[in-house]
Amino acid sequence: MSGSSRTELLQAEHLTRHFKIGGLLSRRTLHAVDDVSFAIGEREIVALAGESGSGKSTVARVLARIYKPTSGEVYFEGKPVSRIRSRRDRLRYSGLVPMVFQDPFGSINPVFRVQHGVLRSLKLHRPELPGRERAAEAARVFEAVGLGADMLERFPYELSGGQRQRVGFAQALAMRPKLILADEPVSMLDVSIRIGLLNLMTELRDTMGVSILYITHDIASARYVADRLIVMYAGQIAETGPIDEVLASPRHPYTQLLLSTVPDPRAPLSVAAETDRGEPPKVIDPSPGCRFRYRCPLAIDACAQVTPVLAELRPGHHAACHVAQKAPAEAVKAFQ
Amino acid sequence: MPEVLEVSGLSVDYVLDRGDVRAVDDVSFTVGRGEFLGIVGESGCGKSTLLFAVAQLLAPPARVAAGSVNFQGTNLVGLTDSQLSAVRWRDMSVVMQSAMNALNPVKSIGAQFRDAMRAHGKPAKDEIEARSAQVLRMVGIDPVHLHSYPHQLSGGMRQRSMIAMALLFTPDLVIMDEPTSALDVVAQRSLMVQIKELQLAYGFAVIFVTHDMSLISHFSDRLMVMYAGQVDELGATRTVFDRPLHPYTHGLLEAFPSIRGPKIPLKGIPGNPPDMARLPSGCRFHPRCPHAVDKCGQVEPDLVELDEVMVRCVRRQDGSLPVTAGQEGSLSR
Repeated sequence: MSGSSRTELLQAEHLTRHFKIGGLLSRRTLHAVDDVSFAIGEREIVALAGESGSGKSTVARVLARIYKPTSGEVYFEGKPVSRIRSRRDRLRYSGLVPMVFQDPFGSINPVFRVQHGVLRSLKLHRPELPGRERAAEAARVFEAVGLGADMLERFPYELSGGQRQRVGFAQALAMRPKLILADEPVSMLDVSIRIGLLNLMTELRDTMGVSILYITHDIASARYVADRLIVMYAGQIAETGPIDEVLASPRHPYTQLLLSTVPDPRAPLSVAAETDRGEPPKVIDPSPGCRFRYRCPLAIDACAQVTPVLAELRPGHHAACHVAQKAPAEAVKAFQ
Repeated sequence: MPEVLEVSGLSVDYVLDRGDVRAVDDVSFTVGRGEFLGIVGESGCGKSTLLFAVAQLLAPPARVAAGSVNFQGTNLVGLTDSQLSAVRWRDMSVVMQSAMNALNPVKSIGAQFRDAMRAHGKPAKDEIEARSAQVLRMVGIDPVHLHSYPHQLSGGMRQRSMIAMALLFTPDLVIMDEPTSALDVVAQRSLMVQIKELQLAYGFAVIFVTHDMSLISHFSDRLMVMYAGQVDELGATRTVFDRPLHPYTHGLLEAFPSIRGPKIPLKGIPGNPPDMARLPSGCRFHPRCPHAVDKCGQVEPDLVELDEVMVRCVRRQDGSLPVTAGQEGSLSR
């Protein structure tokens, strides 16, 4: 994937993040992210999907430089992120790659008016902007996310969840970002409010040329906004490709499982018999082999011995599955 | 179906210094034996307040202002705590939203089960243990976890053990307040299937509150849509999904993108639910309604039965809203 000819905005190569767990002398290691490589282009929304514990938030935090990778490298506009040293470069990077958080109730300081965060971002990340122009700029980004300028003076408690999440995006936009890391930005909102935020994300891409890494467990919303999909399982990428293509013909059994859990109100009323009851494993000191094999109805001997790697099955569409790589597309049907 | 629960004319007020705010306004519905009733609506529409009123768990400043809650022939409104104690947990149990906070973090699961059983009966020690292990097995958790503390379990397991706790006495009615909203999709789906299987096996009735309509489409028998403290639509789930009569129901159905079929731009429902202290005149939904006309701002619509579905919409009732209007969309195609 990383070898594509077009210029990528961000490239992650063999990104790995382990956490030591247990007591001081413990040698156990949790493999939160294991050898993950992907790229995000300009003006592109990439959805990163997976269950809780799949490592998707850890990826976002490594990209945001909250965690240092255990190994591997992130390249932003071709330059390695690990080389960033000076305060100026750090601020520049976090302004270009800001994060929007999941919890709109916990991520805004309740004692300040909502403009506080935006004005502060402007002061820190765009010091060239004269003080008197900051208010105008704050009003402009509020306008861009669909909030009236009068909202700037409000306190967080006066805003609904959807409005607060828009404030989160406004704060990110104030820094003139190239890539917004949105970690489950709509999962705590009411279903009726979510669509507005999803529409805002596509609008930001189309009008401002911002790329977005959209982290979610909701495949239907990913399909609605994203151009490309990365499916993670237990710290590794299971499948990736153009989102329509992947969802039309998912090759990895795990992607098929995720798809099968999306409620379809038009389907006849029935309780599916083959519903999966498993949970994603905590990957502690893993042995080789596919990490999904315990839940996979199609697992073969090779799955317990060799860790599958991503292979291109169709142009741009990769899957890390022994079975899918051997068998034709129609033969791989684990979950309907 | 004999009714397990009959709620009629129930209103709940929050008594505040600046005046009373009516959070639940004249709500009536019934739940039959073994029936699954889904209640949907946005945050702040009064659905949790309604559940608390049904279970008689309201605490000041909230109070029942009018109406009755008949549970198996007894009106629960006005009963004292000791009278309610005979009903609670034995015949009617509650599964709260977010098991993350509902379980006591410093007590093992088994100890919490024991507390619940002792509070509502005088069972022997081995009886408690046998039943605790049995209900855990019913929800698919190994009974060794009776000795586990909540932090040692995953979110899905915690939520399932909450459900196990609700089933300790084989109740006739289990009230569930968004039990799956803290879980991710796969766990959510498997929990829903599990609830349905348990319900079919043990025959208890379920009231299930959620803001995600798609979630209960396959599981509930009847669906009640609430908006601003009132019932807007109430009917068989299948009928309501296939032919939503109220524009608000339709908006909720259109609010989630489809995983199959063509991609179409969705709008969701513009605006926010009204402030319950400053309700709009006429129909409470009309400021957000794409089909609103002048009349909607003037006349307060009643809940009227129309083709076996109860609906509160003036334009639907006088027939001025064509049946096809607002029904083209991702769902009904």
